[in-house]
Amino acid sequence: MIFRIAWRNIWRSPLRSWVVIVAIAMGVWAVIFLMGFSIGMGNSYVVSAIRLEVSHIQLHHPEYLKDFDVRYYIERADTLAREVAQEAGVRHVSPRTLVHGMVATARGSRALRVRGIDPQAEAAISQLDAKLVEGAYLPQGKRHAIYMGKKLAERLGVRLRSRVVLTFQDIDGHITSAAFRVAGLFDTNNNAFEESTALVRREVLNEILGYTGIAHEVAVLLDDAALADTVAARLQARFPQLDVQTYVQRSPEIRLFESQISTSVYIIMVIVMLGLIFGIINTMLMAVLERVRELGMLMAIGMNRFRIFAMIVLETVMLGVVGTPMGIALGAVMIQWFQIHGLDLSHYAQEGLAEFGISAIIYPDVYPGMYVELAIAVFITAMLGSIYPALKAIHLRPVEALRKI
Amino acid sequence: MIVIKAQGLTKVYNPDTVPVHALRSVDLEVHQGEFTAIVGPSGSGKTTLLNILGGLDRPTAGKVWINGTDISTLSENKLIDFRRDHIGFVFQSYNLIPVLTARENAEFVMLLQKWPRAERLARTEQLLREVGLADKMDYRPSQLSGGQQQRVAVVRALAPKPRFILADEPTANLDSVSTRNLLDIMARLNEEERVTFLFSTHDQRVIERARRVVTLEDGKIVADETFDR
Ligand SMILES: Nc1ncnc2c1ncn2[C@@H]1O[C@H](COP(=O)(O)OP(=O)(O)O)[C@@H](O)[C@H]1O
Ligand SMILES: [Mg+2]
Repeated sequence: MIFRIAWRNIWRSPLRSWVVIVAIAMGVWAVIFLMGFSIGMGNSYVVSAIRLEVSHIQLHHPEYLKDFDVRYYIERADTLAREVAQEAGVRHVSPRTLVHGMVATARGSRALRVRGIDPQAEAAISQLDAKLVEGAYLPQGKRHAIYMGKKLAERLGVRLRSRVVLTFQDIDGHITSAAFRVAGLFDTNNNAFEESTALVRREVLNEILGYTGIAHEVAVLLDDAALADTVAARLQARFPQLDVQTYVQRSPEIRLFESQISTSVYIIMVIVMLGLIFGIINTMLMAVLERVRELGMLMAIGMNRFRIFAMIVLETVMLGVVGTPMGIALGAVMIQWFQIHGLDLSHYAQEGLAEFGISAIIYPDVYPGMYVELAIAVFITAMLGSIYPALKAIHLRPVEALRKI
Repeated sequence: MIVIKAQGLTKVYNPDTVPVHALRSVDLEVHQGEFTAIVGPSGSGKTTLLNILGGLDRPTAGKVWINGTDISTLSENKLIDFRRDHIGFVFQSYNLIPVLTARENAEFVMLLQKWPRAERLARTEQLLREVGLADKMDYRPSQLSGGQQQRVAVVRALAPKPRFILADEPTANLDSVSTRNLLDIMARLNEEERVTFLFSTHDQRVIERARRVVTLEDGKIVADETFDR
């Protein structure tokens, strides 16, 4: 009966109730949108950082990461890669030979990281083949092909088929040079990566270094980022002579970024809920004050304070129960739509976002349980918002309430 | 059997500012089955007396026993439950819950008392029929006349079989036909259900129907007469 009374009471002032319901729906919708947007933006950064740079797990010679010295390589890297690939949870493995050197062109020279890769294995991880905008991704047969970012090419003043000379220290400490021809250009949303890294075939780089089958890094992509710690522990146990690190260890800022996103998401939620709570208090207080006589009568005939309190709380929660699904539906539809079409920010912030390695087209995302968390947040907000009005209601004295005419 | 016993009831409103002596040492005993009117001019203290007898207000001095329980010993929360379980109330107006139908209003107190559903429905339906509201059971208060609303209030008060029913000027807002009608119903239910009625009024036509008339003046009982009607 309390349910029935509370429900019908809501519709005594339909306009006022609708204002609150719509406010709740809009609040929920806004939170979903902002959360989806931040998560999408974060994913864009994290995915790009993992795909392009650190992958989920990396294996190195224990000395290598200290100052990226080419002398600290991994022998028989292909065998290692095959063994790692058999580990449960591992999806792709790419051995990389890495050198840091200078690239010289007609226009000038620039420091450059050269990643010697096996095109197929690398493509599976960094997906750089898909970022191709001109030419081809390290085509078969062209041994001295180099694949570089469009931005880097512009900086260097080179075009497709231009010749570039790479100069670097080989394993014995000698300075070596080799000429490459630009085979393809790619365009990512990550400026830092694009301007600093170029890809060549690993066997060619190894040949220049004078060793076969070596690599400096074995990058591993997992089925799920959450497996990183366990798989890394297993790999470390299996290859004690190597240094096994997860993306979190290699790139702590990713974790920071992730935690910052979830923090900002909660801050958004709290701000919106704070806004709602005042609206709710105001509305419910009005609802209580215009029913003083009726509440007095209810207490007079024996409706106890617990029930009165419950009735007011229930009325408030019901407003949330109507508003929340509306907001969630609205938000979910919107997220769905932008997940397919993307939210194109290129008019506003292309360059700014690219500096951070974030795509200008954001695909908002939600995490499982987000809608439930939101529903709980609204529920708690409604409860909190109803406490003061409900206290007001139960502190009425029936005689005084009844006398008010 | 004595249902209500009041001794030395005194009520002073605003004792610290402008004291109003609403009741001055009132003694009263009400027996099972009475049909009693508290009468007196406006401001004589009728409402104050009924509120105190019904446990809605506390006296400045004096005590009230209901079925032998000294209600001044009950906490505010206990008092609400006590009212629910022992006393029926009919007020001058604002008796009904506007969002509930006549039937739902009528069964409200029974519901609070957790009567079994079947019994609850049967009793409220029978009583609503008896007071002539058979065809209005699913109407909301706003769709009923003032007299009909008061009849629903009487049914609600009566349905859970309370010790007695307190009605503060139940006919004050009614026309004479409705007034007579409501009094007929109250009198009949008093006979049939053996329920004690204590109602206040300053309407001569209502006074004439009471079997006992207690007259208040300036917060004091000045007459207490019994009639054989
Ligand atoms: N809450 C109150 N505060 C101050 N004075 C009151 C209050 N309630 C009633 N009174 C005064 O007490 C006296 C008795 O009032 P009341 O019991 O309502 O009489 P009646 O019901 O016979 O008209 C009146 O003088 C009235 O003004
Ligand atoms: Mg009065």
